[in-house]
Amino acid sequence: MNKLLISPSPHIHTRTSTASLMRDVVIALLPTVIVSILFHGWSEIIVLGVSILSCVLLEYLITRFLLKKPSTICDWSAVVTGVLLALNLPATSPLWMVIIGAIVAIGVAKMTFGGLGQNLFNPALVGRVFLLISFPVAMTNWAPVKGFIPGVDASTGSTLLGMVKEGGIEALEGTSYLNLLFLNIGGSAGELSAIAILAGFIYLLARKVIRPHITLSIWLTVFVFSGIMWLIDPSQYTDPVFNLLTGGLLLGSVFMATDYVTSPMSAKGGIIFGVGIGLITMLIRYFGAYPEGMSFAILIMNATVPLINKFCKSKKFGR
Amino acid sequence: MTQTIIWTIAIITLLGVLLAVVLYLVAKKFKVEEDPRIEEVEKVLPGANCGGCGHAGCHAFATSCVGASSLDNNFCPVGGNETMKKVAAVLGMEVKEKAPMVAVVRCNGTCENRPRTNEYGGYASCRVKSALYCGDTGCLYGCLGCGDCVAACAFGAISMDPATGLPVVDEEKCTACGACVKACPKGVIELRNKGPRGMRVYVQCINKEKGGVARKACKVACIGCGKCAKVCAHDAITIANNLAYIDFTKCKLCRKCVAECPTGALVAVNFPVPKAKPAAPVAPAAAKVEKPAGAVSVKEAPAALASEKKTVETKEEQK
Amino acid sequence: MKKTFSIGGVHPNDSKISSGCRIEVLPVPGTVYVSMLQHLGAMANPVVAVGDKVKVGQVIGEPSGFISAFVHSPVSGTVKSIGPRKDLAGWNITHVEIEVEGDEWAEGIDLSDTLVTEIPQDTKAILDKIKLNGVVGLGGATFPAHVKLCPPPGKKAECLILNGAECEPYLTSDNRIMIERSKEIVVGAAIMKYVLGGCPAVIGIEENKPEAIAAMKAAVAELQANAKGYDGISVMVLKKKYPQGGEKQLIDAVMHRQVKSMGLPIDVGAVVQNVATSLAVYEAVQKNKPLITNTLTVTGDCLPMERQHNYLFRIGTPLSFIIDQMGGIPEAAVKVVSGGPMMGKAIVNLDATTVKGSSSLLFLTAAQTVRKEQGNCIRCGKCAEACPMGLEPFLLNKLAKNRMMDELEENAVHDCIECGCCLYTCPANIPLLDVIRIAKGDVIKIIRGRQAAARAAAEAAKAAEAAKAAEPAKVAEPAKK
Repeated sequence: MNKLLISPSPHIHTRTSTASLMRDVVIALLPTVIVSILFHGWSEIIVLGVSILSCVLLEYLITRFLLKKPSTICDWSAVVTGVLLALNLPATSPLWMVIIGAIVAIGVAKMTFGGLGQNLFNPALVGRVFLLISFPVAMTNWAPVKGFIPGVDASTGSTLLGMVKEGGIEALEGTSYLNLLFLNIGGSAGELSAIAILAGFIYLLARKVIRPHITLSIWLTVFVFSGIMWLIDPSQYTDPVFNLLTGGLLLGSVFMATDYVTSPMSAKGGIIFGVGIGLITMLIRYFGAYPEGMSFAILIMNATVPLINKFCKSKKFGR
Repeated sequence: MTQTIIWTIAIITLLGVLLAVVLYLVAKKFKVEEDPRIEEVEKVLPGANCGGCGHAGCHAFATSCVGASSLDNNFCPVGGNETMKKVAAVLGMEVKEKAPMVAVVRCNGTCENRPRTNEYGGYASCRVKSALYCGDTGCLYGCLGCGDCVAACAFGAISMDPATGLPVVDEEKCTACGACVKACPKGVIELRNKGPRGMRVYVQCINKEKGGVARKACKVACIGCGKCAKVCAHDAITIANNLAYIDFTKCKLCRKCVAECPTGALVAVNFPVPKAKPAAPVAPAAAKVEKPAGAVSVKEAPAALASEKKTVETKEEQK
Repeated sequence: MKKTFSIGGVHPNDSKISSGCRIEVLPVPGTVYVSMLQHLGAMANPVVAVGDKVKVGQVIGEPSGFISAFVHSPVSGTVKSIGPRKDLAGWNITHVEIEVEGDEWAEGIDLSDTLVTEIPQDTKAILDKIKLNGVVGLGGATFPAHVKLCPPPGKKAECLILNGAECEPYLTSDNRIMIERSKEIVVGAAIMKYVLGGCPAVIGIEENKPEAIAAMKAAVAELQANAKGYDGISVMVLKKKYPQGGEKQLIDAVMHRQVKSMGLPIDVGAVVQNVATSLAVYEAVQKNKPLITNTLTVTGDCLPMERQHNYLFRIGTPLSFIIDQMGGIPEAAVKVVSGGPMMGKAIVNLDATTVKGSSSLLFLTAAQTVRKEQGNCIRCGKCAEACPMGLEPFLLNKLAKNRMMDELEENAVHDCIECGCCLYTCPANIPLLDVIRIAKGDVIKIIRGRQAAARAAAEAAKAAEAAKAAEPAKVAEPAKK
């Protein structure tokens, strides 16, 4: 030791860093990723690989050559975006589409705002919604793909929510909740297994990466709202448990609505945010043109976050 | 079909006219009455909104000028005499010429002259650093080198010289707005008379400790020996608190004091080179600092001066 | 369910490595340097001259204002010099240099070990003793103790809280005195409680100090059984959470009352004193011994167990002497901190001297303390979650950088207690507290300026009215906010 180091207090720091938080999110996503690879096979691996690679590469190129700043790929945030984007796409997605999604997600939704922490909307969702609107056919092509588990190849051509939208509630004959909980055949990779997503949720909570407010308030809102509608007319409206377990609701509520950057800071704000997402999702599901409204709901509520932050301040000591 | 188009055009036109009327009425109702001269004055101002004049911005300055009975207390340091003449013309007032000023860095504590005694590891801000402790050298008074002045300069006239760790003032760009003087927590920077062809003599040190202590901390410290004051024929130099200060309103630029200074704390800048012989002992140190300039007229950048006007807070005062 | 404060807080690893090390008496050095600014408030005036012979416990500095304190000689010997000397942050402070000769104590000081349990019944005499013996708060702020023990007229103390939380990681000196000097601390508490009008006293200790909790409980029980004046003293076990030892947080934890912004503990009927202060009060009142010693922890992860110490040192002992005694600075250390790792000060000058409030010498390694590169704010809100004052550090940081003073005040930057939770917890390593601390100072200056202006205006109005003679006075409206 030759020169003393001087700095203002505090002199110690928690081990948690941006990179460790993002890495935890990736770890929490692993069960979902594994399930989707098991059932969708090689095509899912390719979609995932291309999505992650193009997201990370784009972030690197943009930070290095356009923004001329030190590259931020080491913070794992681009990886999170890549995984989430892939989990939001059908396994049959053509690769050019995945790449366009990555360009929109990283290039447009994230870097144009100034990179990590500056974006208003969740990058992966912007990418997905862009693709959904631009290429509706490719984005809803739930054609059977060959998975690694023989016999349970995904075989329907439509998601359950899509079936309800087209054929009414009768189309659901024969689906059991147990099925929904473990294997929700049809849909994008991230919609496959509720259990896998819940495992990730528990991991995130245990590691104190996220707080439960947002996720739980979404679930509660969806449950209560659809419960009321179902009680009014069970022949027209789907029941609450079905609504909780289908579509992108779980994936969105656990991994995308809780994205730090695009969700409110305070617990109170988080609850308002969650209730808003739940309501908008259910309104779109019941009355909208799209079968699923989670992505739109999150993006719409993302836009309200600055306002929520302004008005939902944490309670100050002694005031 | 045609009818639809006609209807559309008609409705839109009607809407346009209606809104225009609304806009007109609103503009009329909420019109802010303002002295038209304020706008005229503002037009001739530089529009930098730097606050150098002591007002919140150029508009506030213009309002103040219009409201004042004379321009004696209002001066735009950025625009200088020319701008003030224009302002005077607009308002039909008289204006006194002011000698041009320039920001002068009164510290020459380069890494070589003033060895670092510890390592600072906190946020790189002079204010944070000076609030925390005495600084990373033995000198309690000199430049802290974190560049608060650089950040404060609205004209890009100050930059840090990585070789010396000291700020360098670009005399061409410096408008003497005084933002850096306010930003420096140590009071190192002073606004001084620019002098004929930029020629100035000043004390490049503000260390008030006893000679031995000051010298131990920094090779080029003013030790308050008083030799310069004795040799000065114009009564321009005062010694207080172990520190010499040259009153630039009295200094006749004879440079006798420069030759007398035993530590080289007293410097003369921008004098023609051949005649600089008496200042020889200072030249090396000064020359090092001025490197970035090197234009036709020898530009000497960092300057430092001791003043009692802008007293540096001593430790006792801070407590 | 153990109690704790209601908002925020963090859980750094408590690292109480030296908690098992008994207090050792540090030898007296050859020369001591006694600082004249060992307390909050105005600097004391030296009342000795160069060449004077002084005894242990003799007054060498007198207070120069209401908030100031007496300074006593910690050794006997000759005054060598009086003048500026650099403190641990490198600033010049007036010090009295005394060359040690023997160990001759001033008269009237009881040096025996006997425990005096009888509490004197003269409040004024007690307060005088506390003041004359230079007792200051030893929890960190070094606020003169007698000032805190005299609530302003109209305010009444409802509870005396003894702060034994020692929530800062590493520090163990309070823990050790609670174990080894528990009875004295309880007597000190009883004295202060008596002075405050007999309000109940609660000794708050965090759960990670079971030995201290047991010792304090036993001491309270024993004294309550054998002597008068000890009713209403109790030990409260608190959950482990930083910054429990913060005055406002401790009051919240113990009394469930929150001190208002810019308010004082006495506004909610609380008086908080550190356990070390209580010990000093005991010595001052019962033994007439001035505050010339304190306990200091020498610790750090880079020190082996046998080099961890809790020292009883004479105030004025140079830090370098202590470092020599404990065997030099360990190789791995890059930073030496006086105080805890969350709020302590990094030492720039190892020749500096110990003061009344010195509580530790903490050696930190590069891996522990070097700040990592600052990243982008990811708006995770962890700083707001951690802030025990319920502030939003991310927002204050942004406002401070843009110098938006009105908004800073609106968002209560002046409530910041500088506990360091925000910076500790920020995953992006943003120097939140560094920036906020400066903004806090600026805003407090603005608020004080406004208050002074309002007072001046009110007084001017009053004077004008007085001049106007007996006309019914219209109360001058103080400037808003």
